[in-house]
Amino acid sequence: MLRPFALYRPTTLPELGELLAEHGNDAAIYAGGTELLLLLKEGLLRVRCLIDIKRVSGLDAILSEQGAVTIGATVRHRTVERSPLLHERCPLLARVAAHVANVRVRHVGTIGGNLAFADPHSDLATIGLAFDGAVSLWSRARERQVPLADFVLGPYETSRRDDEILTSVRLRPWLQGTVGAYLKFGVYERPTLGVALAVTMSPAGQVSEARLAVGCVGPRPRRFDDVEQQMIGATAADLADAAKPLADATAEAVDTVADLHGSADYKREMTRVFVRRAVATVAARAAGRDLHERYPHTIVV
Amino acid sequence: MSDTRTPSSCSLALTVNGRAVALEVPAHSLLLDVLRERLGLKGAKRSCDMQVCGACTVLVDGAPVSSCTYLAVEADGARVLTVEGLGDGDTLDPIQEAFIEHGAVQCGFCTSGMLMSARALLAEDPAPTRERVAHYLRGNLCRCTGYGKVIDAIVACGRRQEARA
Amino acid sequence: MSFRVVGRSVRRLDVVEKVTGRARYVTDMELPGMLHAKLLRSPHAHARIRRVSAESARTHPGVRAVVTSGDLTWCDPYFGPALRDRPILAIDVARYEGEPVAAVVADTEESAAEALDLIEVDYEELPAVTTLAEALAPGAPLVHTAPPLAGHFADLSTLKSRPGTNVCHQFHFERGRGTAALAEADLVLDDTYTFPRVQHYSMEPHAAVATWDEQGGLTVWASTQNPYSVRVELARMFRVPLAAIRIVVPYLGGGFGGKTYAKLEPIVGALAHLTGRPVRLALSAEEAFRTVRRCDARVRVRLGLTRDGLLLAAACEGDFDVGAYADIGPRIIQKGTYTATGPYRVPHVALHSQAVYTNTTPGGAFRGFGVPQLAWAFESLLDEAAARLDLDPVELRRQNLLAHGEEYAPGDTPIDGKFEESLSRAAEAIRWTQAAAAGRGRGVAMMMKASIGPTVSEAVVRLHADASVSVLSSTVEMGQGARTVMAQIAAEVLAVSMDRVRVAAPDTAVTPYDQTTSSSRSTTMMGRAVQEAAEDVRAQLLRVAEAALHVPARQLQLDDGAVVAEGGRRLSYEDVLKERFGMGGGELIGRGIVAPGRSAAPLGGSTPFWEMAVGAAEISLDEETGAITVEDYVSVADVGRRINPQQCEGQDEGAVLQGLGHTLFEEMLYDEGQLLNANLVDYRVPRAEDVPAALQCHFIENEDGAGPFGAKGMGEGSLIPVSPAVGNALRRLAGVRLHELPLTPERVWRALRARDQKEPTPP
Repeated sequence: MLRPFALYRPTTLPELGELLAEHGNDAAIYAGGTELLLLLKEGLLRVRCLIDIKRVSGLDAILSEQGAVTIGATVRHRTVERSPLLHERCPLLARVAAHVANVRVRHVGTIGGNLAFADPHSDLATIGLAFDGAVSLWSRARERQVPLADFVLGPYETSRRDDEILTSVRLRPWLQGTVGAYLKFGVYERPTLGVALAVTMSPAGQVSEARLAVGCVGPRPRRFDDVEQQMIGATAADLADAAKPLADATAEAVDTVADLHGSADYKREMTRVFVRRAVATVAARAAGRDLHERYPHTIVV
Repeated sequence: MSDTRTPSSCSLALTVNGRAVALEVPAHSLLLDVLRERLGLKGAKRSCDMQVCGACTVLVDGAPVSSCTYLAVEADGARVLTVEGLGDGDTLDPIQEAFIEHGAVQCGFCTSGMLMSARALLAEDPAPTRERVAHYLRGNLCRCTGYGKVIDAIVACGRRQEARA
Repeated sequence: MSFRVVGRSVRRLDVVEKVTGRARYVTDMELPGMLHAKLLRSPHAHARIRRVSAESARTHPGVRAVVTSGDLTWCDPYFGPALRDRPILAIDVARYEGEPVAAVVADTEESAAEALDLIEVDYEELPAVTTLAEALAPGAPLVHTAPPLAGHFADLSTLKSRPGTNVCHQFHFERGRGTAALAEADLVLDDTYTFPRVQHYSMEPHAAVATWDEQGGLTVWASTQNPYSVRVELARMFRVPLAAIRIVVPYLGGGFGGKTYAKLEPIVGALAHLTGRPVRLALSAEEAFRTVRRCDARVRVRLGLTRDGLLLAAACEGDFDVGAYADIGPRIIQKGTYTATGPYRVPHVALHSQAVYTNTTPGGAFRGFGVPQLAWAFESLLDEAAARLDLDPVELRRQNLLAHGEEYAPGDTPIDGKFEESLSRAAEAIRWTQAAAAGRGRGVAMMMKASIGPTVSEAVVRLHADASVSVLSSTVEMGQGARTVMAQIAAEVLAVSMDRVRVAAPDTAVTPYDQTTSSSRSTTMMGRAVQEAAEDVRAQLLRVAEAALHVPARQLQLDDGAVVAEGGRRLSYEDVLKERFGMGGGELIGRGIVAPGRSAAPLGGSTPFWEMAVGAAEISLDEETGAITVEDYVSVADVGRRINPQQCEGQDEGAVLQGLGHTLFEEMLYDEGQLLNANLVDYRVPRAEDVPAALQCHFIENEDGAGPFGAKGMGEGSLIPVSPAVGNALRRLAGVRLHELPLTPERVWRALRARDQKEPTPP
């Protein structure tokens, strides 16, 4: 059960800013509540009021513009899963949204809530990195954009200041000819490991751009620039052949942490395994095939 | 629309199982407790209390939610369906009939959540495969049945619906 | 012989209530004036309680009482079925993280929860023992320092503790020349296995509502599997006669053993007494993890076989961790150890177990009751023997099986099943003799368990004036379908249709004595009591009809609600009753008592039946991650006769999945006495996607059980072989033998990598 709180429901950002200024740390931002309400039930967080941001105009939009797609903070996972716009411009993100938690959490939980909570065992931040995601943080003083890589600092820790709220996440959709995959592995309720890989193939059939993100195994998800560089210029066949060295290089560089999901070295080894599998999957897709592979306790998107 | 007279308390006007309900609830009320304690609808149960097990599943405007972790105020203006709203007075809903026929009920504590999830699934995918059902039920736990007969019931209900359509 | 309702999958009596959300569990109850309790729990594994400051809690709005052990000196605060070692609230010492130290009673759950935050407890931490190794080390800190008091079970009044240690009970069973015979074996194997701490996770956590009446009687609505055991505890603790305690049991949202013996009833009864109001206590799922669990165990097995694969000798030494309070742990070690060698003939055995205290959640009954822990070890080592002797594991088992009618132990029931038939059925169903597909491996395992004896089950059957029937039985409905089975038995004997039969909820004021709903015993024992009670009614019907029809009773039958004579004359039951009572009222009451009494059997009473099951698993393995997939699973249970086939299938399908839980996923993780994963995000129970692609549950029905219509019990058997069958499949597929559970991907992965290095497999 929850301890009593007041519930405020601002309809504009300035109104929201005033409430934040007035209540400070006695307030928590509330959207879907799938993380927040659990913290409150457990007594890990105690506040006097919740500020519901779902009625603030503009926070629930999915917007498409030249070179960018913006998803408002209060957009639900379920909406992302079903959005024709996102299926067109960021298909992998839309398909991954279908596999977050369970169907009830997907109906209620929001993109903004998920990113702001920064649970280390989550899919969204990892896949967001593969879309060069950046969050928009609004405060009364200013609005600023922070790349996801700089936003998520560690487990449950972000660079959001107390007077800021996350209003949207902006993604750079992949160009035509981009092929990607997301592999998520784990036995438990939350994922143990997530690998997002996307390569853009030039008309000549060579990788012109690559994005590789690994999440859940360490304090925060990250991209692997050096490994991405190694993929540039490869054909689909080259990529398939390079799966092992690329995986090895990632496993070398990844930061893993022991927890209930496993030891640090098991996670490092699983990173090796799943990056290799991701490369094989993407290489096949780049060659116009689908491996239809299945691995136990793994979702391949 | 919520009354913001006192931000700690809210007026709700919603429909529960087809009937209009008006209530004043504290802002921090959970939908599960309002259903069980204020409206006497005890079918939804509290089990894990953290959105994992599904025993508290109810439908809000057709969407399955974990009522144990869902503020009652969110249901303002919505149509809420609980297990008590399945069926039609004396007639059972086809999904309830299917559960009976296939032996999908043992202790019964997960049953209302299973039924509501099944209802939501069949609305979205009228004739799901076993695999689809098993995947959809990722968030519905059962310790008694081993799931086999629950899946049988939902698949059979789907096929029957499809045959009628 | 064909029956009207027995052997048919008739609709469950409770299914419409349950699918409409109308079924009521304890947590659904509301009584006028009911108050709500919450428990304050120790954060430490072992600590002296120096002071409890509760003033601000007591004056918090809505709070009616804040209670500690000091407020309970008016009753006997200790309970426990084997050892009376568990206080209602911790007295001076908290012995595990999560032990209740104080209780708040308030108008609402909310105010009770708020008041908990206002209680301050001053603890002095004490050294704790939180593993078997720590608890058994010489000079280890003691969990209990006072001499033990025996609980209410006669067979355990001869408790064998080791004073000055954490061992609260020991059990020893020998046959033949024991370990000496190992020297005569051609092959001796020796290995040690461990079984983890796991939790029942019943979907409904424990709950109870208690109220005292003006006559000084106590009523408790409890989510319990044995109302009569709870009754005797409360009567003694509160110093009132048994007749003044009433335990009522609505439906349970699962039990699996976790709701046997008193758990919440003492505290709720005490709080109701102190406040003079009805009090409700409903635990959260997290609290259930801090109330009871399965006893983890470390088992050493030695096997001696001839080179042809005949079992000659076996020795087992088991250490069972019963946590901070013994609960039914002492009986668990006895029961499990007694059949540690499974359904096989072993001429020489020396089996020994200890129940050991640690500063952790108390271990208690959980489906299988000690046998899973031992079968994991024994069946794994038996497969190693097969490998060493180059014998097929099915054939090795087959040649050692106990025969139908063979003696297991002097004084105990002879073997009552044709075990070979079950083994053959399993082998056939998993296609054992055909090579497995590439990347697949198969394993098999068997189990045998003695059901509890001696026990007492009594039942009453009432035939009403309109020929409807009430069955009064204290067997608890926790999902297994017991109420339906009892109704089927009564309906069969009395030749009435199922819709004319009602089975009352267990209520010690009304439904007569039953020892327990556990041990897979209810169909057999209570079933017989119901059968006897129904036959008593039948005999009364025939006596009246005989006089009315002038036909000898032996020429009369019951059919469709009437007594029928050869030649067709019928006297309906309504008319029989009118004849009997001379008016349109009255009822016939039949009684059944099943009480075989003590015997010379090693456990004090002969087993009513031997529960025996086989499991065969076919698995695939992702060698790169260590993830096992159980592709096919076959269970075979020897059940005598299925009273309700669909219910039996449901029970065994559930048993297999629950077995997959501790085999692949479930483990309570402690860090120095702190339970880390007492919640469903971090404790992984099986889900719908974990069901094997092909799951077959078979039943052998030779009508050779001691229960009604030749039935035996079932429900635990099919859980037990799961872990060794999967472990054996892994060994045969990938060449790695794991000694601990669960077989998480990482554990398997480590073993595979060690194999690749050609190092010895890690223990």
